[in-house]
Amino acid sequence: MSSDHHDHNPGFISKYVFSVDHKVIGVQYTVTSLLFLLFGFTLMMIMRWQLAYPGESIPLVGGWLGQYLVDNNGVLLPEGYNALGAMHGTIMVFLGVVPLAVGGFGNYVMPLQIGAPDMAFPKLNMASYWVYFAGGVTMLSSFFVPGGAANSGWTAYPPLSNIANTVGTHPFWNGQTIWLLAMVLLITSSLLGSVNFIVTIIHLRVKGLTMFRLPFFVWAQFVTSFLLLLAFPPLEAAGVLQLMDRVFDTSFFMPSGLVVSGVVQEQYTGGGSPLLWQHLFWFLAHPEVYVLILPAIGIVGEIIANNTRRPLWGYKTLVYSIIFLGFMSFVVWAHHMFLTGMGTAMSTFFQTTTMIISIPSVVILTALLLSLWQASIRFTVPMLFALSFLPMFAIGGLTGLPLGLSAADIQLHDTYYVIGHFHYVVAPGTIMALLGGVYFWFPKVTGRKMSTMLGHLHFWPSFVFMNTIFFPMFMVGLAGISRRLWDQTEYVQGIDVQGWVRMSSWGAWGLGLAQLPFIINFFYSAVAGKKVDANPWKATTLEWAAPSPPPHGNFAEVPVAYRGPYEYSVPDAKEDFHPQHVPDTQLT
Amino acid sequence: MIASSFWLPPDISTHGSTIDLIIEYVHWFMVVLFIAWGSYFLYCLVRFRAGANPKATYRDAKAKPSKAAEVVVIIIEAILLVGFSIPVWAYYRSDPPGNDKNPLVVRVVAQQFAWNIHYPGPDGKFGATKPELVDEALNPVGLVDGSEDPAAADDYVSVNIFHMPKDRDVLVRLSSKDVIHSFAVPLLRVKQDAIPGMEIPIWFKAEKTNEETQEIMRRPFDLPESAEGEEAETFVKENRLRITMDEYAGIPAGMTLSMDHLKTLVDAGVTSVDMAPGFPVNIQCAQLCGLGHYRMKGQMKIYETADFEAWYADAGKEEVFDEDDFDDEEEDEEDE
Repeated sequence: MSSDHHDHNPGFISKYVFSVDHKVIGVQYTVTSLLFLLFGFTLMMIMRWQLAYPGESIPLVGGWLGQYLVDNNGVLLPEGYNALGAMHGTIMVFLGVVPLAVGGFGNYVMPLQIGAPDMAFPKLNMASYWVYFAGGVTMLSSFFVPGGAANSGWTAYPPLSNIANTVGTHPFWNGQTIWLLAMVLLITSSLLGSVNFIVTIIHLRVKGLTMFRLPFFVWAQFVTSFLLLLAFPPLEAAGVLQLMDRVFDTSFFMPSGLVVSGVVQEQYTGGGSPLLWQHLFWFLAHPEVYVLILPAIGIVGEIIANNTRRPLWGYKTLVYSIIFLGFMSFVVWAHHMFLTGMGTAMSTFFQTTTMIISIPSVVILTALLLSLWQASIRFTVPMLFALSFLPMFAIGGLTGLPLGLSAADIQLHDTYYVIGHFHYVVAPGTIMALLGGVYFWFPKVTGRKMSTMLGHLHFWPSFVFMNTIFFPMFMVGLAGISRRLWDQTEYVQGIDVQGWVRMSSWGAWGLGLAQLPFIINFFYSAVAGKKVDANPWKATTLEWAAPSPPPHGNFAEVPVAYRGPYEYSVPDAKEDFHPQHVPDTQLT
Repeated sequence: MIASSFWLPPDISTHGSTIDLIIEYVHWFMVVLFIAWGSYFLYCLVRFRAGANPKATYRDAKAKPSKAAEVVVIIIEAILLVGFSIPVWAYYRSDPPGNDKNPLVVRVVAQQFAWNIHYPGPDGKFGATKPELVDEALNPVGLVDGSEDPAAADDYVSVNIFHMPKDRDVLVRLSSKDVIHSFAVPLLRVKQDAIPGMEIPIWFKAEKTNEETQEIMRRPFDLPESAEGEEAETFVKENRLRITMDEYAGIPAGMTLSMDHLKTLVDAGVTSVDMAPGFPVNIQCAQLCGLGHYRMKGQMKIYETADFEAWYADAGKEEVFDEDDFDDEEEDEEDE
């Protein structure tokens, strides 16, 4: 890593658009994925109108949504509801949370935390972002083709997904086919990224930074990268197979003797298995849950250590727990499939592994909670977000138990209980942690701090509304209401829980409003926020040793790591934090 | 009993109480764990805030209580798993009622967006079916003609209405002819994906008839003060799936309230009526199956044994796919 190739003065385009600098790419990922999060959430705010007030015209935007989503009166169509639902799930997971957690935070923070000048393969890194970007544009384009966007759920179960978007549409440029193409691009992007992360973490750590001196966030990214690397290829293969089924009438997922709307599906030879898709899909999508949650746990760990002013409790226990979580996440996938006709042997295996995987989750939560003991807690804005993660992740984790026990799952499977459960993990859990991360590292990226007042205006309503949205879903689910219903008042139980459903909807719209202070804060503080020094949080890890914002090549001089990542409140020391890069001689 | 506080719908099946029990135990476990964590969490936030504790302690807190808590969690999860979930699943999934129990065997063929309930008729044998014979209106499961397969002659297919007796095992052979659906009957604690290309057996036994279930679900509804205006319209709309359980002001029991009924009731000074769902036991589709997923609704008609036998005897005699018969069922649906 000679410094001479950092000295040239690149033009605007190669500096800010087609940049190979991990920091620029990290910011590109962050901004793009935040926009996708907002967009995916907006789709849900539209859907929540139909759920709260079935069959009534959507106010404000109803007239603008086009013939594939709404009727002439601006009422959401059932197929429009399904399209918004499929796109909400896809966008939030594959275009929002993963790119933000891994592409955004991972790219920006991880190389700095290991003292590296950049990622191991900067061009691969750039390729990863632009393939992701192409995937996102491809995905969005499906809203504008005849027939509208994919409407078979983010899980895209065949045969439904194979026969969807085929009537009155282009044979190739139609919703579900575009969805598959976009997924192939997004998966490719993730694979490029994960290889790069693994090599970077193994090879580019500075002198003295042993694996057990790595910040917990780097460990989280490391395990996450392995999950991406190993879990995504099966879905990529499955996506290509489904593409073949759709475009060339192969029968990978199509059994014999299908009759759709009275028409025998003779174009398929049959003999395929719809369940094969589910196995391939969930073999990715369960590890995917940990891809969503591990970086968030890493961020929470960083923020908690910094704001409790004491070492993270049980650092090694945490590391071993996430490695164990990573391994176990590959052997629990079929708990999503208990009701596909599974016998006792299979269900026993998968519910046992599911109970086992809950143990490291409990250990992680316990370790983070024990870190608060005898701490000196500073309630900064990032800390508020990190702290709120703990109880809400707990609710998300605990409500996984009845779903993981196959007998209880009989009643709760595919109801709103499931929606409440995984959203508590991913939205009030992961997204709150990611927002905390934005506040935490914003001063490093811009040299300026985000406004604390606007931060409070963002945090408190978001915390309240997150729970307003998702907690009622448990009651709705227990009442037996299936998910993905355009109008649950078709059922008498649906009418009985309509009050809870409306509460969720108003919560969602409130949450939308609560993001305004954040959006204002983000842009305002980037240009006019209070200027701060390189280490405003008095933190210990290496990214704070670099100037803010770090220049191309990151560090003025290559740092050396002298100690572990969280040496806070060392007894008899001058300061209450010992940065990793400062030698002992300068501390005493 | 306490399960009702967990918002579960009433349970009218023989096996459902075991499922409810697991759901209940798990939730108590969750509540206790969450309160324990939560109290500790809040205590820390207050006790160890920077203002109250300016200097943090460097060494790790002792972890004995947390280790003990983790062990307790492991033990309770093991008990839930081995003591409850696995045995219930084994009973529910691996022990179909044999001939000695004389189950009613029925094929259910799901399609976009209806449930075809195929009864074998008095001979107890299902006629052969062929995909190419499927006719959406006249022959939804593609049953062959009686001359080709005698077993088909007395078969009967009911669309969206599942007739069954109480107190007798019902064995359903579940499949689908197009996409994946899921056969869910919340009140019977039954849910199973219907997957094309597979025939999956499920079984259940109802302890209550429709009428008995309605008695459980019966509850009073306060009428709006005026029979006109938005409140009255909302009331009628929200109760369109319910029927009156007694006679009120000359309106006989079993009626769905209309605006006219409401006017009669309000004029007669009735302030509250007891109502229950007209079809208390619904089949829902629980797996996204297309644009009509939300309205892929079936109804259970659960009879006393003798009433069921009487219905079944008549049903078997009818022409298998009489167009009028199909229309009747369509009307039935609309009546509700």
